[in-house]
Formats: sequence, C-alpha cells, structure tokens
Amino acid sequence: MLLETTPDTSAFMIAGYTVAFVVMGLYVASLFIRNRNLDRDAEMLKTLFEAESSPSSKKEAGKSAKKPAPKKKSVSKKK
Amino acid sequence: MQKRPILLTMLDVVSVIMLAISTYLALFYAPTELVMGDVQRVFYFHIGTAWTALLGFIFAAGAGITYLVTKDLRWDRVGVAAVEVSTVFFLITIMLGSIWAYPAWNTWWTWDPRLTSAAITELIYAAYFMLRQGIDDVEKRARFGAIYTIIGGISAPLTFMSIRWAQSRTIHPVIIGAENATAKGDFSMTPDMLTAFLFALLAFTIIFIDLLWNRIRLESKQSEVDQLKMKVTN
Amino acid sequence: MKKQSPPHPPLTINNSLSSNHPSFLKAVFAILQKDISAEFRSRELLSAMLVFSLLVILIFNFALELDVKVRQSITAGVLWTTFAFAGTLGLNRSMAVEKDRGCLDGLLLAPVDRSVIFFGKMLSNLTFMLIVTIIILPVYSVLYNVNLFRLDLLGVILLGSIGYSAVGTLIAAMTVQTRTRDVLLPVLLFPIVISLLIAALKVSNGLLNGAEFSEISAPLNLLIAYDVIFISIAFMVFDYVVEE
Repeated sequence: MLLETTPDTSAFMIAGYTVAFVVMGLYVASLFIRNRNLDRDAEMLKTLFEAESSPSSKKEAGKSAKKPAPKKKSVSKKK
Repeated sequence: MQKRPILLTMLDVVSVIMLAISTYLALFYAPTELVMGDVQRVFYFHIGTAWTALLGFIFAAGAGITYLVTKDLRWDRVGVAAVEVSTVFFLITIMLGSIWAYPAWNTWWTWDPRLTSAAITELIYAAYFMLRQGIDDVEKRARFGAIYTIIGGISAPLTFMSIRWAQSRTIHPVIIGAENATAKGDFSMTPDMLTAFLFALLAFTIIFIDLLWNRIRLESKQSEVDQLKMKVTN
Repeated sequence: MKKQSPPHPPLTINNSLSSNHPSFLKAVFAILQKDISAEFRSRELLSAMLVFSLLVILIFNFALELDVKVRQSITAGVLWTTFAFAGTLGLNRSMAVEKDRGCLDGLLLAPVDRSVIFFGKMLSNLTFMLIVTIIILPVYSVLYNVNLFRLDLLGVILLGSIGYSAVGTLIAAMTVQTRTRDVLLPVLLFPIVISLLIAALKVSNGLLNGAEFSEISAPLNLLIAYDVIFISIAFMVFDYVVEE
C-alpha cells in the first residue's frame, strides 16, 4: 500500500490450488484403482485356487474343465 | 483380507473435512498479503505438504532401520508407503513453490539451495522406486529399500548444507525463525495468517497419516495377492 | 505376516576372525591385491575408464568452448564430472565381475567378516579411480596449459574419491543384484553423491583460483564429514547387502 497497489496474482493462486488438488486427487484415485485391481486379482486367484485344490481326487478329469471358470464377480463390495 | 477398520474410515472423513477447512482458511479467512497479492495464499499448502513430506522421509528411514533390525516385512510396507506418500506431497510442494515463484521472483525456477536440494531429494526417492522395481525377491527388495531410505535420509540434509555453502546467498524466504536479508518475497504473518498456517500444518499431518494408513493396507493386500499367486502357480 | 524367508544355513564361520586385527587388514589387502592383479592381467577396466575420461574431456572442450577465460572457472567442474562418470563405469564393472563369475559367493564363504569384502572392494575401486586421476591430471594440464599437479588438489581428489568409492561400492553391490543393473547405478548413485561432488568442486575451485583457506574450510569440513559418515554407514549396512 505504501509503495504500490497490491498486484493481482489471483490467477497464480488458482493455478496453485488447482495443481495441489489435482495431484492429490490423482494420487487418491491411483490408490483406489490399485486397491480395486488387487481385490479383483485376489478374488480370481481364490476361485482358481479352490478350483484346483478341492477336487483333488478327480484332479485329472476336472482340471482342464474347472480351471478357466472364475466367474467375474465384477467389483467386490469390500471397501 | 481383513475388513476395513472403522477408525480408518473415520480418519478418511476427518481428513476430507480438515482439507476443506484448511482450504477455506487459506483462501478466504486469511487476509490478502499486500505486496504479493493472492498468490501468497499458496504458502499454506506449500508449507503443509513440505512439512509432512520431510517428516515422512525421516519416518521412512526410521522404518528402514527398524526393518533391518527386526526383519519384519510389515516395516518394509510402512517404509514404501511413507516414501510414496511423501514423494507425492513433496512434488506438490515443489510445484506450488514454482507457481508462487513466477510472480514473486519472475521465474519458475532458480538454483537456490532450497530449490535445488528439494529437487535432488525428490530424485533420490524416485530412484528408490526404480530400485525396488528391479528386484523380484521380496526379502531382498525390502532390505535394499531399507538401506536406500537410510542413505537417502542422511544424504538429503548434507546436500542442503553443501549447496548452501556453495552459493553464498539465498533468495528463498524464511518465514519462521531467522530474518533473511536477501530473500525476495518475505513477509510477516498476521495472527489470522498464523491461524491458517498452523491449521494447514495440522490438516496435512492428519491427511498424511490417513493416506499412509491406506497405502500400508494396499501394500499388505498386494503381498497377500502375491502369496496367493505363488500358491496357485505351485 | 506368516510368510518368512526360507531358513538359510547360517554362516557361522563368519565372525570368527572379525575381531582379529591383523587378519582383518590382511584380508582387506588380499581382496585389493586380487583385484589389482586381475586388472593388470586384463586391463579392461582401467583402459575403458581412461578412454572414457578422455572422451568426456574432449566433449567438454567443444561443448563449453574452453578458452583461457572460461577454463579458469570451469576446470574443477570438468574434472569432477569426468571422475564421477568414469567412476560409475569402474564400479559397475568391478562388482559385475564378482557377481557374474561367482566370485562374490566365494568371498562370502571365506571365513572373514563381511565388512572385509566391503573395504576390499572399496579400496580397489578407490585405487582404480586414483590411477585414472593420476593419468588424467597431467594430460589435462598439458592440453590446457594449467598446472593441476598440485599436492593440495591431489589431497582434495583423494578425499572426494574416498567418499565416492565408499558410497559407490555400497550402491553398486546392491544394483548388481537387480535386473536393470547398469542403468540403475548412476540413477541411484548420483543423487546421493551430489553433495560430495559439490563440496569437492567448491574446494578444488577455491584452490585453483587461489582462495583463502577460510573460504574453503566449510566445504572441506563437509567433504571430510561425508567421508566419515558414509564409510561408517556402509560399514554398518553392508552385511545386509550381501546377505543371501
């Protein structure tokens, strides 16, 4: 005020806060996506594992038929 | 896979609320700085993220030491989580600083000691992830990661000191503590600014803990999935 | 977590001789001697480092147009950059040889403390760096008509090389066990040694431009502190690097 009027730098302020929120948002989204993918993987692996281990007596017959049957349970509700 | 603890969900909610309040305080509550104008408001998040990121790097080094002593893989997960969240936060710090610097210093970047050592620190932790990616063995990855976080944690302050001596003056403002005669963009805080500032510190600390916790859980889940994979392939 | 690492047979013979001083030094020098004699038979490492260093200087010559005025302020920078780059070549090679030919396993089985391996490899890396220095300095002096063969400068280079080879040996021992080893070494090493390089650069620059001792004492102290800190860190954690 003594020397000059306050410059209008609000554009930079907006840019700054946008950047901060975008980066944080992207990170949270990446956490979320990675979490979802892992849930899906776990689900699939579990069905695979059970399909392979439970009918161990008739393994030879059932193996090829049962193995590729992991029904896609879409996204698990666990959150 | 364990169920998500209620405390964590609560922490998520609290973090979002804290972030909202902190944004409000920074953007509307705190008075506009007279010399620089609105861009000074970037300062609150700049310090908030920097503070938590640096604490996080130190914490990761601590987790590294603990891992090497106990050989408990949980500490490795804590270490990765801390480094990852801190790296993201520190990236925000650097970008915010750069955006602030343009109106204040008339340049996006200068090779000031603080800026340079911040960039090098960020590079150290980027390298950390490359190191981890190159190793398949879980236990070896944990060991090397721990060692590298320890070395990195020691090296970062040394870098800062070395650059500070190499260049006689700095233009980075020091708001807390010592006066800096050569700094450009220095200002003194009014009580309202101090409130917004302290609140931002608190808010980012809580957000950091929340993200850290979530990230640790993600890493545990990852290792469970990896073990399942091993079981299936065998 | 339930999953523990598979129980490996403990190498109990390891620490039996660690406290025994003469044999510790003897073992360190045995590794050094092994590396040096192997190197003088093949000469592949030193020749690569030397040619590489000369090429770097050559490139700098054209990139920076090293005329008389520029030279004064930039000589130390060119030298340290050259050493840093040539150093990674040497580090990569010296650890890769151990790993690929199975020498590392042999060394690990030897009834000596693990830190012996660290100090042995560090000393041999240091030796190679110093040999390259001893050859590069006079060449640079002749090419650019500046006298670099000074005792104080050599001292600084020695201090810098000690720190560099300490951190370098530790990190190379890690990267050599990874998938992308050659690429990874400089990426991991440079951000860590940059403070050492800056301090060494500052001191060398001061010496070459005839600065007062008070001007260079701070970076000189940092240089020494860096050496001490990183040798002790490497000494403490090296066991974990070579653990099998």
